[in-house]
Amino acid sequence: MENFIAGTLMLFSNSTSVLIFVGGLLGGMIFGAIPGVSMLTLAAILLPFTGHLSATDGIMLFSVIYCAGVFGGAITAILFNIPGAPENAPTAFDGYPMTQKGQAGKAVGAAVLCSAFGGTCSAILMMSATAVIANWAISAFGPPEVFALVFFGLAVASSVGAATLWKGWLSVLFGLMLATVGLDPVGGIERYDFDIPYLLAGIHFIPTILGFFAVSEVIIQMEKRARGTYEAPKVSLDFPSLVEFWRLKVAVIRSVVIGFFCGILPGIGAVLAAFMGYNEAVRWSRDKSKFGKGELEGVVSSETANNAATGAAMIPLLALGLPGGALTAMMVGVFQMHDMEPGPLVFINSGELIWVVFSAMFFANLCIFFLGWLQTKTVVHLLRIPFHFLAPAILMMATVGAYAIRGLTVDIVVMFIAGIAGFLLRRSGYSVAGIVLGIILGKIGEQTFAQAMQMLYYDPMEYLNRPIGLALILGGAATIVFNIYRALRFPAAARA
Amino acid sequence: MVVYKRIWAGAIGAALALGVSLPAAGASLPDMMEKPNGFPERPLTAIIPYGPGGGSGQFGRALAEAVTRITDVPINMEYKPGGSGSVGMTAYMATPADGYTVLEHIDDASSAHALDPSKPNPASDLIPLVTAQITFSQIYIRSDETRFTDWKSFVAYAKSRDGKTSIANVSKAGSMERMNLKFVTDHEKIKLQQISFDKGGPRYAALKGGQVDALFEQPGDVRGFLDSGDFKPILTFLNERPAAFADVPSLKDIGLNINPLMRFRGYYVHKSTPPERVKWLQWAFQKAFHEPGYQAFNKKKFMDLIDSFRDTKGSQMLINDTIGIYRKVYKEVGLTQ
Repeated sequence: MENFIAGTLMLFSNSTSVLIFVGGLLGGMIFGAIPGVSMLTLAAILLPFTGHLSATDGIMLFSVIYCAGVFGGAITAILFNIPGAPENAPTAFDGYPMTQKGQAGKAVGAAVLCSAFGGTCSAILMMSATAVIANWAISAFGPPEVFALVFFGLAVASSVGAATLWKGWLSVLFGLMLATVGLDPVGGIERYDFDIPYLLAGIHFIPTILGFFAVSEVIIQMEKRARGTYEAPKVSLDFPSLVEFWRLKVAVIRSVVIGFFCGILPGIGAVLAAFMGYNEAVRWSRDKSKFGKGELEGVVSSETANNAATGAAMIPLLALGLPGGALTAMMVGVFQMHDMEPGPLVFINSGELIWVVFSAMFFANLCIFFLGWLQTKTVVHLLRIPFHFLAPAILMMATVGAYAIRGLTVDIVVMFIAGIAGFLLRRSGYSVAGIVLGIILGKIGEQTFAQAMQMLYYDPMEYLNRPIGLALILGGAATIVFNIYRALRFPAAARA
Repeated sequence: MVVYKRIWAGAIGAALALGVSLPAAGASLPDMMEKPNGFPERPLTAIIPYGPGGGSGQFGRALAEAVTRITDVPINMEYKPGGSGSVGMTAYMATPADGYTVLEHIDDASSAHALDPSKPNPASDLIPLVTAQITFSQIYIRSDETRFTDWKSFVAYAKSRDGKTSIANVSKAGSMERMNLKFVTDHEKIKLQQISFDKGGPRYAALKGGQVDALFEQPGDVRGFLDSGDFKPILTFLNERPAAFADVPSLKDIGLNINPLMRFRGYYVHKSTPPERVKWLQWAFQKAFHEPGYQAFNKKKFMDLIDSFRDTKGSQMLINDTIGIYRKVYKEVGLTQ
């Protein structure tokens, strides 16, 4: 506690540090909200300038951008079906249907509160966690366990947003198939590239998400207008009530645990955290069919989990020197610009830096709550913009976002193809959420499966010696069997 | 094996020997050079075919900043990762050859061309402006490892495990990492299970967390773990022991008489760029290598242990020799006809 107070005093007693804190907070929220131009873009732009800051201010700036950036993308995901970043995609699964139902204020309010709550819990856990936890995580969870975790998550993905279980599975399998485009993650074998060099890097998930969500939605609304069935979403500023939150307490706590856990594993992070948080909400729900159609628990689970991953991701970086994702890898660059290496020695040699960063992340999450509350009162009014102005703006934003991520025109083409495919698939009862789940989990799953097989010397029975992995595999298999049984035995109940 | 020895000892040996004489040439570059017809009159763009946080991203930025410090010309970084550098290379080939866009790339471009001649040859389809990082690889184990403590005991352990000894690696087919390891495992008659990790963080976590037995990496990338005492090297992929790793056996010490494949990074420009612009860019990027800030960066990355500088001619020799070696080796191992 003394260290935390000292870190807080250091942070707020220096006007430069305060300016950097506020700048990082606003910058992260804005860049996080614009699709394609993520917090990573902002971090890459700022990286060379951190050499002119103190090491403490440089690392603090990046950690604040991280917290704010993960939250920022939730707003556009909920209001316009445009996730600012992949970790906000599950938020759109239920957030956007809530907007269509006239519950935008409730969805954005829940996202604000849960992002702040998940992030704050993570910051507190981060402060109390030691290198022991980080060491345990990397010892207990190798690629076999991470693959098992992905399989466990995929097992429930078929239940999200499709008309039937079978269409749900086909959606997920289609996503898994798209994830195999490009170089295979082990041998570097070229797959499904059709001699187009850009496809060697695979189909990037941001243009795909923008296409499946934003573009397909615009086409659907255009069709409704043409048929005369279009109704503008009602604007509501109702926040979720305390009773509603209390009802979701288990989902929130579960997502904090999932998010923290995914964040602490190098290479996993907020994206998998959000999807796993969402999937577990579906798995443990009595009525799975309500997900994907505007269920508050979906928004709560996803946003709590992705923000809970932020503080956790700092633990392996600071305690062990292991960056878990792109932003934390850039933080290594900030350390190195100041002749430092993250790792155990930082705790010994630069204790004040660590505690300034910890307190900055804690207060950044509190600020997200207050700024987010103000934001909710204002941004929801964007829904009052008439469709004939809003639709071109959404398409333009999505196009810029798809291009900005790598500066490749092929990504714009991919986005529009995904948009048209999404429109047709949604009309036929397939789930774009399932496809996106397949793409995201497929990329992580394929790589960890290949690594797992190499580590287990291509003998799946070796899983018997890895109890955590085995339990997750069995849990996933049981879910699949149960869902199939339910679909065959009670076909009406399994149908949405 | 005899074939490897003959090829490598001749070709890379010549390239490394050439490099010894080149730093002086780089250091003797004029302090300033007049801009040819005002070029560049706007910021340059550097395409980096990897992410901003990795070794290439850090190198690309450090050298570009040094160029800016000596010329006052800003350089915008564009990261185009994916496909082991092929996406960035393809994107670069589509840019105008006006000298305003430069490309950072690593030895992967050379091995990609050796594997598939339709891919650009960095020595002849592009003009190398400078090679500013050349480094060697090592095998690391955890410092608190008890099953083996040095290369000899590691080999004995691997033999006793009959192929069930694992090493974290990048491990793409035909990669520098995989080829180097192949020569050592063939020589020692051991089998290592290579686990492929494309990102540094999870790769280092695998060794630190005990998921794998060893790690193949370059020393600059794991400096933090070496300084903290978490990892220790047990074999250096060089023929002589560098001073900083004087107690670690080299290839020669284990009786392997080859010159290993090196990791190298540099900057390139289009072949058809106007010659006077190429000349200015060569001066700027080669001069930047000697800039104190860049030298400090290279030192931190252990890039001062062997000569890391090649000018255009030296880079072309290094690349051509490397391509020649990869071609022979790929044929030997059946990756190409």
